[in-house]
Amino acid sequence: MRSMGLRKSVLFNLRRFFSFIKILFSNRKAAFGLIIILFFLFMALFPFLFTENTPLGKDPETGGPVGVKFCVPAWFRHLPTWLGGNPHLTENFRAFTDPGFPTIGENGEYRFETDANDLVKPYPDPNFGYPLTVPIKGLNEKNGSLAIKFVRPAGQSRGEVKAYVYRQFYYPYSGYPADFEGNVELFVNGSVHGKYLDVPVRLRFFVGVVEGERYYLWPPVYNNDTKYLGAVDALYGFNFTKGDVFVDRPKSGREMSRYWIISRASPMGASYIKDNQLVRISMGLRGVDSVITKIFSKNPGNYEYGVEITFLDSDFEDKNVWTTVYVDDLCLDLYGNSYGIMGTDHQGYDLFAQLVYGARISLYLGFAVSVMTVLIGLVVGLVAGFLGGIPDQILMRINDLMLCLPTLPLLIVLAAVIGHTIENLMIIMIFLGWNGFARVVRSMTLSLKERPFVEAARAVGAGTGHIIWRHIVPNVMSVVYVNLATSVPGAVTSEAALSWLGFYDPTRMSWGRILNNLSFQGGAAQAVVNPLWPILPGLCIALLASSFILLGYALDEILNPKLRIRR
Amino acid sequence: MGLKAFIAKRIVYSVFLLLAIIVIDFVIFILMPGDPTMFLVPLDPSGGTATPEVIQRREQILREVWGFGEPFQVKLFKYMRNLLTWQFGVSFLYKTDVSKELGWRIPYTVFLIGGSTLISIVVGVVWGVYVVYKRGSFFDSASVVTSLITGSLPTFWLAMVLLLFFSLYLGWFPNAGAFPREWAGGRWPKAFDFTVNGSANGMSIFLHIDPQETFRLISGYALHAFLPMLTLFIFSVGGWVIYTRAVMLDVITEDYIITARAKGLKEETVLFKHGLKNAALPLITSAALAFGFILSGAMITEAVYTYPGLGQFTFQAIFYKDYSILMAVFYIVSICVIVANIVADLLYGVLDPRIRYG
Repeated sequence: MRSMGLRKSVLFNLRRFFSFIKILFSNRKAAFGLIIILFFLFMALFPFLFTENTPLGKDPETGGPVGVKFCVPAWFRHLPTWLGGNPHLTENFRAFTDPGFPTIGENGEYRFETDANDLVKPYPDPNFGYPLTVPIKGLNEKNGSLAIKFVRPAGQSRGEVKAYVYRQFYYPYSGYPADFEGNVELFVNGSVHGKYLDVPVRLRFFVGVVEGERYYLWPPVYNNDTKYLGAVDALYGFNFTKGDVFVDRPKSGREMSRYWIISRASPMGASYIKDNQLVRISMGLRGVDSVITKIFSKNPGNYEYGVEITFLDSDFEDKNVWTTVYVDDLCLDLYGNSYGIMGTDHQGYDLFAQLVYGARISLYLGFAVSVMTVLIGLVVGLVAGFLGGIPDQILMRINDLMLCLPTLPLLIVLAAVIGHTIENLMIIMIFLGWNGFARVVRSMTLSLKERPFVEAARAVGAGTGHIIWRHIVPNVMSVVYVNLATSVPGAVTSEAALSWLGFYDPTRMSWGRILNNLSFQGGAAQAVVNPLWPILPGLCIALLASSFILLGYALDEILNPKLRIRR
Repeated sequence: MGLKAFIAKRIVYSVFLLLAIIVIDFVIFILMPGDPTMFLVPLDPSGGTATPEVIQRREQILREVWGFGEPFQVKLFKYMRNLLTWQFGVSFLYKTDVSKELGWRIPYTVFLIGGSTLISIVVGVVWGVYVVYKRGSFFDSASVVTSLITGSLPTFWLAMVLLLFFSLYLGWFPNAGAFPREWAGGRWPKAFDFTVNGSANGMSIFLHIDPQETFRLISGYALHAFLPMLTLFIFSVGGWVIYTRAVMLDVITEDYIITARAKGLKEETVLFKHGLKNAALPLITSAALAFGFILSGAMITEAVYTYPGLGQFTFQAIFYKDYSILMAVFYIVSICVIVANIVADLLYGVLDPRIRYG
């Protein structure tokens, strides 16, 4: 019997709920509001369906921000110019592989060229590669590297012998890339047999137009700190002069594999770290503007990048000579000046991802603040209204006080006092927000408790709690629903305003903070270049706020029969 | 209880309210992080710091005036004394008397926000009545939806977009300040001047008005105030439309409206003469309350447009933790709201004789 009753009541409540939803959707304002709220809710719950990036997410391949700073949206390329489009915009382009050098030669992925085919032989070495103990740039360690072996019998010296390992690619955009990053790891191995001697080696990284001029880019443009280079030279026989890397005294033997010469862009700039016996010389190959426009002069067009290895075979003419250079992880990233749907912010992070994930914060804060303010306001209003006397006096006096204080400055001052994480903002908003609703509930309770049905309940001996819970609360519920909806927008816009002023949660990217970044990092120039940056976050705030207001207004129409009659 | 007794009671209560607000402000600013005394050691132009004697002197003044370094109750007492005697001290940020700063900033805020409040009340009420006239039509629902949406827009964003579009993109309006930059330093357009001729027969005063200069003066202010006013107008007009509509809809179901219609009056006459007059009471009192919030109303808008009013002043004070400004602003705003509340209560009594005080 009991279970039967329960089932019936569940069914009844379900039916009631669905008919209420039906009524809601028959009201156009409510339907509009609900659809937008549901859309944002969906966006907040499943942001990964909208974007693969996260607000401050790194690029999985490079480990840095997803693009250069202040990118415009990529689709601006297809806009007509009078609408602000620019056909010369470029996107991120990865001429990037993690090579195991499977194919080398005329038709292979990597090409090999030398001016002494009989002396220099390339071969993939599957067992010896750069030991990537610390994954940088998201490169997964693949065993093996390309070995370039220079063996010269005694008496056949030809002076300088050059070898090139490079890769060609087609760059499809008509504009210049905004930035680029090259990467290569090299290991120079001396002879392993006693009857051979070593030769010095010069190493260069280059980028250039195919069949055109090659630009040598090593050491990096900004690297002029000679202090530690000298130290490296003294310790390991490396020598950096005239923009090239010389290895004067190659070490012998594979056990020296920790002396790889590594070039990669590092946020720390050029440095070398003695880390678990691995000596890493990090060197950026980041381009600067003048270099970029010089190198990438034929867009769209075919380009190549690679290393030039020069065996400086001028000594020991009468001796056998054997030196091997291992090349690993040869790659190049080109960064475009446009990215994704919305472009990038002042640090190169994806704005669209920030927009999508921002829905979470706004909804979280909006719901939490509205539920808590309504709950506290309901309880306080009921108690004050029903009991009267001192509780009522206290409520009304607090209300008078709160009314007199300027809300937003107070909000900011309090945020400055207790720290502005999102939870603290919520607490402050709840603290400042409950009293208005409490006043509404109080006045309703005051009129309700004089009604005959309360008197009747009291006559049959009902207690205060029972009367409040069974007779007053159901009659106040319509205001509760309305206020649940209408107190969200205030919280959402307040949070946005605070974040915009700089009182944002530093760990989270909210819509207000996106606009803060625009105003205080990008400036007006960025707003003109990338109008989506100012418009979309604000539009999201406005849409979310107004959808809740519309829903609340519609709920008021539906739940308040007096309003319906007049129409 | 009569009206006089009610007023007396109300005023006595307001004084207590004001004292409570002073205490609350005091507690908040005590809690605020940062040390204002660090502004007392400013770097002088040569790069050095002020001499120890100067610092000591300043600290002594601070201790005397605000009670720094003294027990809580002494501080509170001095604080209350200062506020009640209208001595807000010296701004740490501007190094000038706060009351002097307030003196020249308040007119700008009153002009900006008072003007926009007035415009939005007038436009909103007329619009609201017209919406009631057209009730049930597309215009009605469109107006309601528009009002709801504009009222829930984030102000700072609205201000930012308007600024970007009208000022930076189209270049129609200046983007900062309350008057053209070249007027700074008292070089206002000479719109009018007096010539006083005194003789034995009497005195004659000639007022000469230069129409061109007058136009320059007015347009200079108007152009600078336009965008902030537009922002505030867009933000607040919707509320008045919705409120007027609600109040009017309550009124037009009354019997005397039916009577008026039955007399064959035009609908406009019915609405404005019979409807609005009777619906005006709540509108007028909320207008009084709205004017009470003039001084606190537009911190963000003023900050975006760098309009030199009280809002921007508060904004900078919060950023630089300038307590003396914040205290003064909170105090003045509270007084305004309290006064507006009293005025609203009184208006109720004056305009509606049915109301009994008690």
